[in-house]
Amino acid sequence: MKATLTTCPYCGTGCNFYLLSDAAGQLTGIEPAGKHSASRGQLCLKGWNAHAFVHHSDRLTSPLIKQNGKFHPCDWDSALTTIHQRLKQIANSYGPDSLMFFSSAKVSNEENYLLMKLARAGFGTNNIDHCARLCHSSTVTGLVETLGSGAMTNSLSCFDATDLVFVIGSNTTEQHPLIGSRILLAQQRGTKLIVADSRKIRLTEHADLHLRHQNGSDVALINGMMRQILLDGMENREFIAQRTENIEALRQSLVPFSPEYVARITGLEDQQIITAARAYAQARSAMIVYAMGITQHSHGVDNVRALSNLALLTGNLGRPGTGINPLRGQNNVQGACDMGALPDVYSGYQKVADTKSRLKFSQAWEKALPENPGMMATQAIEAAAAGKIRGMLILGENPMLSEANQTLVKQALNNLDFLAVIDIFPTETAQFADLVLPAACYAERDGTFTSTERRVQRGRKGIDPPGQAWPDWQILCALLQRCGIKADYNSPADVMDEIAKLTPSYAGIDYTRLENGEGLQWPCPDSQHPGTPILHREQCTRGKGHFSPTNYRPPKELPDATYPLLLSTGRTAVHWHTGSMTRRSHLLDREEPGAFAEINPEDARSLNIRERQRINVSSRRGEIQVKAKLTDRVPPGQVFIPFHFAKGAANVLTNNALDPESGIPEFKVCAVRVTPC
Amino acid sequence: MLKQLNQQDLFRLLEQLAISFQLLVPQTLVDGTRGLLPWNGSQTSMSGEPLQRKPTALFFPQTDHLVHLGSDGMAATPAGSDKPLALCGLNREDLAGIAFIDRFFAAQPADDIYLKKRTAALIIGLTGYVGREQQFQPLAEGQCDFELIADQQHWLAVAYTESGKHWLADYPDGPEDVLQLLRETSRGIASQHEQAVKRASRLLQAEQVPDSFWEEISARCIRCGGCNFACPTCTCFCVQDRKTINGIERSRIWDSCQLDAFMREASGHNPMGTELLRTRRRIHHKLVDDPQRWGETGCILCGRCDRACPTGIGMFAICDEIVSRFDR
Repeated sequence: MKATLTTCPYCGTGCNFYLLSDAAGQLTGIEPAGKHSASRGQLCLKGWNAHAFVHHSDRLTSPLIKQNGKFHPCDWDSALTTIHQRLKQIANSYGPDSLMFFSSAKVSNEENYLLMKLARAGFGTNNIDHCARLCHSSTVTGLVETLGSGAMTNSLSCFDATDLVFVIGSNTTEQHPLIGSRILLAQQRGTKLIVADSRKIRLTEHADLHLRHQNGSDVALINGMMRQILLDGMENREFIAQRTENIEALRQSLVPFSPEYVARITGLEDQQIITAARAYAQARSAMIVYAMGITQHSHGVDNVRALSNLALLTGNLGRPGTGINPLRGQNNVQGACDMGALPDVYSGYQKVADTKSRLKFSQAWEKALPENPGMMATQAIEAAAAGKIRGMLILGENPMLSEANQTLVKQALNNLDFLAVIDIFPTETAQFADLVLPAACYAERDGTFTSTERRVQRGRKGIDPPGQAWPDWQILCALLQRCGIKADYNSPADVMDEIAKLTPSYAGIDYTRLENGEGLQWPCPDSQHPGTPILHREQCTRGKGHFSPTNYRPPKELPDATYPLLLSTGRTAVHWHTGSMTRRSHLLDREEPGAFAEINPEDARSLNIRERQRINVSSRRGEIQVKAKLTDRVPPGQVFIPFHFAKGAANVLTNNALDPESGIPEFKVCAVRVTPC
Repeated sequence: MLKQLNQQDLFRLLEQLAISFQLLVPQTLVDGTRGLLPWNGSQTSMSGEPLQRKPTALFFPQTDHLVHLGSDGMAATPAGSDKPLALCGLNREDLAGIAFIDRFFAAQPADDIYLKKRTAALIIGLTGYVGREQQFQPLAEGQCDFELIADQQHWLAVAYTESGKHWLADYPDGPEDVLQLLRETSRGIASQHEQAVKRASRLLQAEQVPDSFWEEISARCIRCGGCNFACPTCTCFCVQDRKTINGIERSRIWDSCQLDAFMREASGHNPMGTELLRTRRRIHHKLVDDPQRWGETGCILCGRCDRACPTGIGMFAICDEIVSRFDR
């Protein structure tokens, strides 16, 4: 009987719980950590059930090699040698940039670091990316430009100290339940709540103002609010003068965004825009909270810029209870970005194109490194479909269900000369692999994860992995060694020591410190530094906060006569992403056992569709069958489909139109047609 | 039987128990909370805040393997532990929780999986000056094999069962007058929560709480299930069948009546299809049905659901709200 404190494997809130295990090494349950600052003795439904998938009989327990279309078990040595040789052969024949490495927001900081080292030092390419490309790449681009740092500016504790929360494009109580609950508690205490979302989510029931704007009209809404703030003279002039630059350009850019103009684009009433602007500007401290509703657009970076402009304009930055707070989706998506599992940066966002940075990593790794930024994950899918990417290593991701336009993804994966997948379950993506390696899951290995509030925390091994499964860090070390790169780490703690040496924002982080506390928030530049709960206090990371004007651009594909409804995709409270874990957790899968589409009763009536009836949903890219769920959660003209399900996969329909800067697909808007089955 | 133990006696007693039982004692966990864990021969945390996890979980765990059906057609039940459990360190509410679910699982048809673990177990209460910063905790006066009561200097030990008497037999008798004083202290403690829960129960039984109240409360529910999972008297479970290498393993796992699928019909229709209905039903079960069936509420006043609820709608919070709004 054992209780092992660890970090939850699901969202980025960073809750901690105890893994309870019996003498036979089986998990028996979960208990929330009573005194942890994020969980506070509480968990969401997924957290309470985070043990449930671990012993599922589908777990991969042996390396598998595909021969004549069928997988056969093989030994580790030959599996690792095959991966190394095949990827090297492709690199030799077509150049290192014909390879692509997908890292994962589900593996630790140490593992992300090792995979980016493997791609760069081992195989000589910067073609490494991970699923942040699909969630917050717009944030990183937008906030780095305006503030200098692409992370959540404030901490979870700030919800206890704010006068107003402006939630836009975040279904917080479902996607970050322990943050959503803080918002609800704050609202009960008198904090004002503005929610901008086209769906009637739980938060909208409690909001002082619900802005039900058209999907994709965020820039118009936010610009309209800023124009009104300037018109009313409610901007923070002192903050603007001392801490920002480029206000005049912003001011000019806002001229067209009158309430009437914004109302036409957003579908809101003039007065709602004015009321929202005044409430936000008048609050002594106001927090902006956002997620995929902002980022997953072909103009996702502009959405982020606009929000950053709004915070700068009112001086809501660098103080408790303020800030721009992108909620990171996965438990280590912040860390995967921090560790440089991105095509253009090493760990700590040190640019590969910067000679000094490149030299530093090159010396540490004793290997010449490529200087051109690599390919984004979304571009790599297109490149593979076009035959330009020929070899791929995918670690703990499932692009078959998570990337936009599944037909294209299928074509891409089929097209590869060689695909290796490292995962805990035989995912839809693993079916395309030539070789599959079995990994230990979060409960079976040590490491660190970085939560949405930049808190670096320990994940701890509670039980042994099944069969011959290995922790990812050991798999990656074995591959590094085959590439001739030194990788004689005894444990993830040794990897963290190397990360700290090379990464200024993690320089003060080591396992001894993490063992004695509940985590350190980066930047943590030295071993005495207590961590940084609030960014941009005296000045922004880049110096002056930069106003970056934006113009309204509509989504790439809007409803028309042939495809008359707008499709928005996302997650539910019960399931996690592509369902590989939650669909194998009994209580969770029972709660939502199959794909469905939320459709407004008005639309259902006109289409002659009844509750729970099976319907066809088709877009220009494909067609799926799902159950209809009649609800006014979605406005007339819109359907919402979660992307958790392999049967009825929402991403068969979605549009892989990318934001030109961040490369994020437009998951939140495309046009579909619905017919009864 | 009343005995008195000093610190050395207590350790001797624990040593003796550890020979015959798998002895779990309160220990301070990494995050500073207290939990019951196997005794390692030295460490205990005999005083402090209430145990984080409900002790009923040790007899009715979140995942409980029931039977393995082999591909050869043979059924096998889990071997179980070599030694029965001895739980040391339960406060009055924790003991009430175990007593509450004992009654449920022992009712015919009896639940042999539960009883197998429970009937062989030894339960030791821990009361007196063992709260946070040695605050006084009310005496249990029963519902365990024996009760350890901390006075200012010693441990008094009161046996309630033959087993309890057996384990305490070797220790010197304790002072009755000190026990009497402790009992009086205990009875003098008025529980604010107990009053509120009882009054709310009466108001609910008298149908004085309108649906509009439940609409408000349930609008704050984020469907985490924490109220059920943390509650010592919740006994609902569902059954999970999973393939193994050579058959199928059947387990029962904690369920939650706050979940939509809890009462969803195969057709998809759900007679409890809204959070309003589910929240109202859950509280009604504890505060209306349980008093009718057992003569007491299904809330044993431990406060765990209030601590586990992320949005502040645990039992105490709801009862306070009911009393403040509807008690005339």
